[in-house]
Amino acid sequence: MPAEKDEAKEPRARPRLIVLIASFLVSHSTLFSVVCCIAGLIALLLLPVLAKSTYISENALMPGSANPVFSGQDVSEASRLVKDITETQKMGKMTGIEIQRLIIQRMADVGAEVYHHKFHSQSNQFHPFRFFSCDSNSAVTESNSNTSYGLNTVGIIRAPRGDGKEAIVLVTPYNSEYVKLNDALSLGLGFSIFSHLGRVSWLAKDILWLAADSRYGEYSSVSAWLKDYHNPVFFSSENVDANVTHDKDFLNMQNKNMLNGRNVDVFKRAGTMAAALVFKVGEVMERDPRDILTIYAEASNGQMPNLDLINVVHYLAVHRQGFRVNIGKLASLVNSAWLNLVGQILEWLGKLAKNLNPKWNFGISSADYAEGAATVASSMYHQALGVPTGSHGAFRDYQVDAITFSFSPRFYLNNENMQSSFILRGGRLIEGVIRSVNNLLEKFHQSFFLYMMTAPNKFVSVGVYMIGFALLALPLPVVAASLFLNHKATGFTGTEEAKIAFGSWKWLYAAKTVLMIDLWAMFASLMPYFISQIPNITSTESTFLWVALSVTILAVLYVILGSPPYSHSGNVEWQTLKAVMIASVTIGLGLMSIINFATAQIGALLIVPMCLVVRPLKKHIQGALILRALSLVCNLVMVVIGFPPAALLLMKGFSKGFEGVGIGAVWEVAEFLWAWNSATYLYVFLVHLPCWVLCIHILLHP
Amino acid sequence: MIMGQPWILLLLLLLAISPPSHSSTVHNNNWAVLVCTSRFWFNYRHMANTLSLYRTVKRLGIPDERIILMLADDMACNARNSYPAQVFNNENHMLNLYGDNVEVDYRGYEVTVENFLRVLTGRHETAVPRSKRLLSDEGSHILVYMTGHGGDEFLKFQDNEELQSHDLADAVKQMKEKHRFKELLIMVDTCQAATLFSQLQSPGVLAIGSSKKGENSYSHHLDSDIGVSVVDRFTYYTLAFFEKLNMYSNASLSSLFNSYDSHLLMSTASYREDLYGRPLSEVPVTNFFGSVMKTFHTDFAYTGFSMESEPHISLVSETNSRRILESENAQTEAANDNAKDNCPFHAWLKVLEDKLDNENAEKLVLYGLGSMVLLLAISTLLSV
Repeated sequence: MPAEKDEAKEPRARPRLIVLIASFLVSHSTLFSVVCCIAGLIALLLLPVLAKSTYISENALMPGSANPVFSGQDVSEASRLVKDITETQKMGKMTGIEIQRLIIQRMADVGAEVYHHKFHSQSNQFHPFRFFSCDSNSAVTESNSNTSYGLNTVGIIRAPRGDGKEAIVLVTPYNSEYVKLNDALSLGLGFSIFSHLGRVSWLAKDILWLAADSRYGEYSSVSAWLKDYHNPVFFSSENVDANVTHDKDFLNMQNKNMLNGRNVDVFKRAGTMAAALVFKVGEVMERDPRDILTIYAEASNGQMPNLDLINVVHYLAVHRQGFRVNIGKLASLVNSAWLNLVGQILEWLGKLAKNLNPKWNFGISSADYAEGAATVASSMYHQALGVPTGSHGAFRDYQVDAITFSFSPRFYLNNENMQSSFILRGGRLIEGVIRSVNNLLEKFHQSFFLYMMTAPNKFVSVGVYMIGFALLALPLPVVAASLFLNHKATGFTGTEEAKIAFGSWKWLYAAKTVLMIDLWAMFASLMPYFISQIPNITSTESTFLWVALSVTILAVLYVILGSPPYSHSGNVEWQTLKAVMIASVTIGLGLMSIINFATAQIGALLIVPMCLVVRPLKKHIQGALILRALSLVCNLVMVVIGFPPAALLLMKGFSKGFEGVGIGAVWEVAEFLWAWNSATYLYVFLVHLPCWVLCIHILLHP
Repeated sequence: MIMGQPWILLLLLLLAISPPSHSSTVHNNNWAVLVCTSRFWFNYRHMANTLSLYRTVKRLGIPDERIILMLADDMACNARNSYPAQVFNNENHMLNLYGDNVEVDYRGYEVTVENFLRVLTGRHETAVPRSKRLLSDEGSHILVYMTGHGGDEFLKFQDNEELQSHDLADAVKQMKEKHRFKELLIMVDTCQAATLFSQLQSPGVLAIGSSKKGENSYSHHLDSDIGVSVVDRFTYYTLAFFEKLNMYSNASLSSLFNSYDSHLLMSTASYREDLYGRPLSEVPVTNFFGSVMKTFHTDFAYTGFSMESEPHISLVSETNSRRILESENAQTEAANDNAKDNCPFHAWLKVLEDKLDNENAEKLVLYGLGSMVLLLAISTLLSV
């Protein structure tokens, strides 16, 4: 800090204001970073207060302006299919495609174009070089080794006067191996809507109904179909042969698959997809006074569908059909004491502000606050994880807005009357949504794509929620600059030398260390590919193997690239190292905030305090004993929390109890992340982990 | 030839006496320009508004060839329309506005600010057919009806351009200069409609809008079968007013303007009459919305109402070139005479001079003196 004072005293031409401000901030970097971090935390805690009510932004949508005409006749259609499915089930002689046959027959009776879509179940493999890429070419070649097939059933209704360029997709996932009542009901609901839409005169977009065979998972069936929809494959004859000879059953089936003189194995397409609705009938929730509709919207890497789509569904469900709309929330947070305390403080502040000026109306009750905080936390968590919360995620990969909603009836649906009233309302809701989307003239574009929900009808948009992140990330460059300048000043005496120091290239040593750790992190992140090739290995063993290999590689790298550079000139070098580390973390966080904001947000919460606090254990700060102890404790706590596996285990422990948490969970989570091509995996291994290692590096500085 | 001279002189005098302005030109035809400026399915009501007005003015007697109908979109054939090829302005679906004999002059992307201004000012490219032109003259009453989405001093056309109030005022001014109308009624149904005609300056223009500055105009009701709003409030109540009328009704413009209830409209219909000469209560609505006008009985089949003299001269001149000279001489004389006659003082002086020339001057002087003495006596008597 004395260096800045010296510089400031120098008689010079007046520097520009921005330079003055920058140098002021740099010289008070400690205070600045403390203030910024606290402000960032407060901004995050205030998110539920700052949430706005949702509104329908696109004029063309006009939800609910037309009365739904889905009627009792359609309901009986649904009941008939449900009955047929359960009877087919009872007959017992299942070859696996009875249900599909039944559905396709019914769809053909309605007058739709129909086809079967055969797909291969794909076990999720780790392909380190295929992150973010759609592996359409490999699917064909690899699939021959795979013997498990699923069979989707697809029907298309052409809009009678439409131009055939756009389509709306309905998806009902069901398990074809054993169709439970709720699966049968969602099929019935889907079919009744489909047959109803076959009779309406207002369609401007084609309707596709995909009865997705989810015996290998809901997501894989939908994504396989989408892949075939968007990547037309022109089969050469040998390819078809290979497929056919592979499975005798399917060969037989293909011969039989002529319906009304048309081949139902030919893949047919409609236009580009305007929106997709995935719906299913879920479990019974008996205690609620109303039927519940749960909306899932998060797709891969924190992408969200346009807010308008959620709004339309919410509006129609609540205001027209009397559902209660739920979105995911972290239930454990709702009753947590500290959140309620924060809520009460905010409530009190709101009242105080209202007393001061009645126009200031930002009060929120503590219960609302806790609810909102739990919801926004869940929203942020699911976005940060980067894993889609349902099969709608497959659509988002093709830039199609899609959501999943699952109906949870309040009574058991064995009762015929209950069942029909439930189907009636569900059908009217979906008809309303389709009619609204049908009115669209362009893609969804008016409303937000970057947002987090704090309630089904409240949201925080990107402009608000990025304040917290910006405040957290702001101290990083300032502290880096301050450390860099400090090091110059203490390394030399006098201003002349300080000037020379600017030309010094000593920070290159630190940069070399940082790059070496980054290289190591890259190796560590590729390791699971090789480990996953080893057969018969438990997740705990994999974890240990992974850790052992990583540590070995780190040691090897140290040997090859030389020991840490702080052996010669003590005090100076750890500061440079820290400055370079912080700079690299800033870049990493900045990049990640573009790819998946929620990940960067949560990452910043963990990483920024760690980066700012860390200092060698052996270098004591001058000052009181308390200060020293505080610094020590902070360092240790931060380093423990900052270690990704430790943070993961702690989180698991707190949410589900520490008994069931084993080391194997680390491997499982990592596997889960790479299987879903989540960018969070890359973030953890290329930004977070090297930063943690460097912090340890600094902590153990002699 | 000699017989013809006084006749020409008479005609020339007639020409000279009639004042040069055209205000005396009699209203002799009606035109309507009906514009729906917005496209897209959710703006169904704007097309329904325009078609309703089209139907009304047609019912009240403006023939199809004198209506320029501009529709920015085709709702009837929209795939979302659950009543294909039909357009309704009421949820009772009693009246199909898009039935037979609807002649749309400008449709779809032809409805642009440029085309609208060209129609008003008559500056078309040569290839534009007569049916797409506003062939009005100085005896025309024109109704310009516009609906769409607007704002402060603009009206949006087709989601990508705007008509500004200055543009409109400029076009109207050009129309005035070119004698394209006698009277013009501008009727606007948009948000902040009154701002659109705030820049007008030309005389003979009357304007009414559905809402004042800062106010929105609202739709009247939603048709839950079609799934859109089908009519706007201002237009709805305008139509309700006209439904009671037939071609021969005598309702005045003021009764129309006073029929708007700002509670029902949810906005304040405001009109501008400062440029308009006549009192509104004396102008029947059919002067603009219909095609009813006064009938004049003329003795001669081919003598016009006012300005028809010049063609006669030219007709004569074609037969005989000499008469042109004579007539020109006569014209200059008449013009001189006319200049003298015009001043009352000169005329009186001339009368006096004539009298002095003709009658006994002494007698006149005596009578004059006597009357002066008499005047003096009376004035003194009164002052005492």
